[in-house]
Amino acid sequence: MTPLYILPLQTAPEVIDRIPSGYSNFVIPFVVGISFMLIWLTVGLFRLMAKIPARDRRRLWKSFFIPKIALKNIRDLFCDCLFHTKIWKRKPLLGYMHSAIAFGWFMLIVLGHLEVALFVPKHLAWTDGGLFYPIFYRFFVWINPGHVSLRGWFFFFLMDFFLLYVLTGVGMAIFKRFRSIVLGMRHTTKPSLADRIALYSLWLIFPLRLLAESFTADLSGGSFLTVPVNMLWHWIFGNNLYFMPVWWAYSICLGLFFAAMPFSRYMHILTEVLWILLRNAGLQPSHPRKGVAEAEIYACSSCGLCLDACPMNVQKKNLKYSSVYFIRFLRRHNEKKINDIADKCLMCDKCHALCPVGVDAPALRRAQRATVNDSLCYDYSYLQNRVPAPEANDIVNVATGISDAPEVMYFAGCMTHLTPRIIKSVEKVFKAASVNYVFADRDGGICCGRPLMLAGKTSAARETISANRKMILDSGCRTLVLSCPICYKIFKDEYNLKGIEVLHYTQYIKRLVEQGRLKLSSCDERLVYHDPCELGRGCGVYEEPRKVLSQVGTLVPAAKEGDESICCGGSLGSLTLDARDRAKITESSLVNLVANNPQTIVTACPLCLMTFSGPALDTVSHNSGEEATDVKVKDFAEVISQRV
Amino acid sequence: MVDFGFGLVPSSRINLDLFDREKFEALAALEPDVRKCMACGSCAAVCTAGKFVRTSVRDAIEELFNAHPDKALDLLKSCQLCGKCTMVCPRGINTRHLILSIAKIYGTK
Amino acid sequence: MKNNILIIGGGPAGLEAASGLQRLGYNVILIERSSMLGGHLASWDRLFPDGVSARGTLKGLLAQMDGVKCFTDTEVRSINRLEKSYNVILSNGITVLADAVLVASGFDLFKAEKKEEYGYGIYDHVVTNADLEAWFNAGPDSDTRIDKPKRIGFVHCVGSRDEKSGCRSCSKVCCATAVKQACEMKQAFPDAQVYCFYMDLRMFGRHYEDLYLSAQKDYSVRFIRGRVAEVSENVDGSLLVKAEDTVAGKPLKVTLDLLVLMAGMRPSAAGKRVGKLLEMPMEEDGFFAVRDGILAGQRSGLPGVFLAGAATGPKTLPETVAEARAAVVEIDRYLSDIFPNVKNYKTLVRERW
Repeated sequence: MTPLYILPLQTAPEVIDRIPSGYSNFVIPFVVGISFMLIWLTVGLFRLMAKIPARDRRRLWKSFFIPKIALKNIRDLFCDCLFHTKIWKRKPLLGYMHSAIAFGWFMLIVLGHLEVALFVPKHLAWTDGGLFYPIFYRFFVWINPGHVSLRGWFFFFLMDFFLLYVLTGVGMAIFKRFRSIVLGMRHTTKPSLADRIALYSLWLIFPLRLLAESFTADLSGGSFLTVPVNMLWHWIFGNNLYFMPVWWAYSICLGLFFAAMPFSRYMHILTEVLWILLRNAGLQPSHPRKGVAEAEIYACSSCGLCLDACPMNVQKKNLKYSSVYFIRFLRRHNEKKINDIADKCLMCDKCHALCPVGVDAPALRRAQRATVNDSLCYDYSYLQNRVPAPEANDIVNVATGISDAPEVMYFAGCMTHLTPRIIKSVEKVFKAASVNYVFADRDGGICCGRPLMLAGKTSAARETISANRKMILDSGCRTLVLSCPICYKIFKDEYNLKGIEVLHYTQYIKRLVEQGRLKLSSCDERLVYHDPCELGRGCGVYEEPRKVLSQVGTLVPAAKEGDESICCGGSLGSLTLDARDRAKITESSLVNLVANNPQTIVTACPLCLMTFSGPALDTVSHNSGEEATDVKVKDFAEVISQRV
Repeated sequence: MVDFGFGLVPSSRINLDLFDREKFEALAALEPDVRKCMACGSCAAVCTAGKFVRTSVRDAIEELFNAHPDKALDLLKSCQLCGKCTMVCPRGINTRHLILSIAKIYGTK
Repeated sequence: MKNNILIIGGGPAGLEAASGLQRLGYNVILIERSSMLGGHLASWDRLFPDGVSARGTLKGLLAQMDGVKCFTDTEVRSINRLEKSYNVILSNGITVLADAVLVASGFDLFKAEKKEEYGYGIYDHVVTNADLEAWFNAGPDSDTRIDKPKRIGFVHCVGSRDEKSGCRSCSKVCCATAVKQACEMKQAFPDAQVYCFYMDLRMFGRHYEDLYLSAQKDYSVRFIRGRVAEVSENVDGSLLVKAEDTVAGKPLKVTLDLLVLMAGMRPSAAGKRVGKLLEMPMEEDGFFAVRDGILAGQRSGLPGVFLAGAATGPKTLPETVAEARAAVVEIDRYLSDIFPNVKNYKTLVRERW
C-alpha cells in the first residue's frame, strides 16, 4: 500500500484528506435525498406553526425557558426518541430493537460529526461539504499509519461498536417481519408502499455502511468490526480493492430513504421531537387536524403496538379500526374511512396508554366525531326549568336525626339506575359509616355529559354540565361521591367545581375505612379486581380499590391489569360496534380476569357490572371446564356492604 | 263538485303513501337494526331526558314510518345520549347510534 | 327378554310416556334428578285456562305408573352407543342396556336476578311466577315478600324475547300464566289493583282468550302495553315502576306493593349435560333439535334417542302430554322395526290371537 502523501515524521497529522477536493460524485444521491427531506420538513414546520394560534405559539416559546419544562423536554427527547424506555418497560426485546436503530444511528451521526470536528475541522463548513463529509468520513480521509493516537483508536472503536449495535437492531427488525411474536407483538402494521421503500432502504443502509467502511478500513481506519472484514476482502480480491460501487450503493440507499421519508412512517423521527416540545408546553389541539393535532398525527411511528392493545382486535377483522391505521388515513385525508374508524372506537384509551410516543388517538377520534356531530340540532331548553333542590326528607343525618346541610352528595348517574344493587350497597355502606349524605338523583337526574362529549357533541355537553353544576354548587355539599367512573371523570376534569372535593366511591370508602368510620370483616374469598377503563387509564385510580379489597378478601391478580386491563366491551364510547363484536370483547376480558381462578370478579363501574353479568359470563363459565364453579360478578360497594 | 272542506284542513289520518322510502333506506344502511323495533317502549321508559320532556326512540321510529319526520326529530332533540335505552332494548338495537343517524339523515341542513 | 327403555326425567312428559310404554309391555326405567317425581308440575297450584288443580293432574299422571321402575335422586353418569342399544351407567351404580332412550329433561326457569333492573333479590317485594305458585300452595304467610299488597304488577317477558338476557325466543306460556295469576291474586286480595305490563298478549290456546276477557271484565285487571324497563325502591319499600304506555304514547310510572316477574323457560342445565354426553344436536338457544318440526317432532337426530316435552322448547302442559303419547308411538314403531323378534306384550297378544 503506497501512501499518497509523504510528510516529515514530526509534522505528520493523524488524519489527512484523501480526496483534496473533499467531494466525490457518489454523494449526489444522498445530498439530493436529504435536501428534499429537509426542505419538506421546513415547509411543513412553517405551515404547522402557522396553524397554531399565536397565543399558543408564545406559550411554546416561553416554555423553553421554564427550567422544569426544559428539563422534561431533554429527558423526554432522550428517553422517548432515543432510548425508547416506554417500550423497554413493556417488551424489552422490542425496546432493544427500536433503541438500537434510533440511539445507535444517532450516535453514529454525532460521533461522525465529532470526528470531523476533531480531525478535519475545516470540513464542517457547508461550503466544504459539511452536509455529506461527516456521513462519508471514512471515504474521504486517510489515516496516517503509525500516527494514530489513543483518541483516534477510541473513535474507531466507538464507531464500530455503534455500527454493530445498529446492525443487531436491524437484524431483529428483519426477523420481526417473519416472526413478530418472538419480540412480543402478535400483530404488526401492514406497511404502505412508501413505508416499504423506506423500510427496505433502511435495512440496507447499515449493512452497506459496514461493507463500504470495511472496504476502506485499511485507508481510513477501523476497529474490531471493519478491520477483520477488510482483511477478508483482501483475501478474496487481492491487493486492490475497487470500493466505489459500494459507496455508491450506500449513498443511493441513504438518498432513497430520505426521499421516501416524508411519505412514510419514518418522518416521526423528526416530527416526534416537535410533538414532545408542544406536548410538554401543555398545548392542546384546537383543531382536529391542523396545528398541534398535525404534529401529533405525524409523530406516530406506525410501530403497531396499538394493534395488540386494542380490545377489538380479539377479532382479526377489526384490525383495520386500530389507531395506527386511523392516523394513516388522517394523513391521506380519506374521509370515509376516517369517520368509519372514528365512530367504532370504544375510547378505552389503551392505545394511548401503550403508545411509546404518547399519541392520544382517542382524542383525535373525538375531535373527528365533533366535526360531524357537534352541528346536529338539539334543544336542551328544558334544562332551564330547574330540577328543585333535593327535598328535606332526602337529607339523612343518621346521628342526630335533624335535617341539615349534607356533608356528602351522592350522584348515582344514569347507568347506576339500571344496577340497583350498587345503589342499595352504597346506601348501606353510608348508613353503616354514619355519613351525612343526600342522594341527589334518587328520582333520576340529568346526564353528567360525558357520553355527549365522547360522541363529539361538545356544545350539548356544555349545557348539561352547566345545569348540573348549578345544582351541585347550590346544594351546599362539600364532597361529591360518584359510583360511576364515567361521571367521576367528567366531574373531576370538566366541571370545575370550586370548593367541592370530587371522589369516586372507591376512594371515599377507602377514606372511611382509614378514618375508622367503617369496620370491615375479612374472609378468604378469592377476589379479582377489574380496572374500569374510565377509572384506571382515564383517571389514574388503580391502588385505592385494591387496598380496600385486600382487607376483605384474598386479592388475586388478573393476567393483565392496571393500565393494561382489557375493556369490558360495554363502553358507551363506541357508536357503531355491534352486540356480537362486543360479546367477543367481553369474553376476552373475562378470560383475562379468571386466569388465576378467582371466585368473584369485582368491578367499580355499573356498565362493567352489567356487561360482565350478561350472557358472556355463561359462555366463559362453560368453556372453562365441566367442574368449574361459576364465577360471580359483584360490585365494589356490594362486596364492602357484605363485610361491614 | 260539492266541497266538504277536506282540502282546507289536513287530514288527521296517517297517510302511508307519503312515506319517504329512500331516506329510510339510507337510515337503514347506517343502522340496519332500526327495522327490528317491536315498539315495546323500554327506551322511552328509561329515558333520562324523558323525565322532563317527551323523548322516545320507539315513537320516533313510528313517526318516521308514518311519514312525519319532523315529529320524529322533535321527539329526539332533547336526547342526552346517556345510553340507557341501548342498555335495555330487547331487540339489541343500537339506539344511541340510531338517534345520531336520524339527526344526520333527516335533520334540516 | 323385553326391550329396555330408559326415560330421563320424571316430569309430566316422562311420567306420561313411562305409563304408556309400560302398558304396551316394555320394560321401562325412569330416572329423576331430584327426590320427587312430577318436575315443575309438583310445585304449581292451579293450571290455566280452567284452574284445575296441579296436584290433581299430577296424581292422574302418577296413577298409571305400576310396573315402571323409578329411580329418584339419580342422574346419568355415562352413556355409550353400542351396536343397537345404549349402555348407560347411572349415578346409583346401576347399568342399563337401553334399546331406546327418551330424553324428557324439561326446562329451567330463567334466573330473574339476571335482569338486575327489576330488582329481584335486591328489593323487598319482587317475586317470580314460580315464587307466586309456591306461595299459593304454601299459604298466605309463607313468603315475607308478599305482604297484603294493595297494588300488584305483573311483568311479562322476563328473560324472553330479550337479547340482553341471551334469549331471543318467546317462552309461550308466560302470558297465559300471568293472566291466570293476575286473576288469582285478585281472588286472594279483592281490594287490590292489578296491572299486567305486556309487549304482546299471546293467548293462543283454547279458552285462553276467555281467560283474558274474564281478567278484564270480572277482575278489573288493567293491561298496559309497554315493557317495564326500570324499577326503583321507595324509602318505605314500595316499588316505583317505570314503563311506557305505548298505546297512549306516553311514559308512565306507578307505585306498587308487589311485582311479579314472569320468568321465561330456558333449557334445563342438567338436560344440557346429558345432551353433551350423548352429543345430541342442539339449537342455538340450547334446546334440543328435533328431526323434523312437523312430522318427526319426537325424534332427535340420533338413532334410538327420542324427545318429548319442554326439552325441545317452551310448551304448555297439554302439548307436553300429547308429545309424550306421540313419543310412545314413535318408540314402539322404532323398536318393532329394530328388534322384530323381541317379545313385548303387544307381540305376545298378537301371537295369542
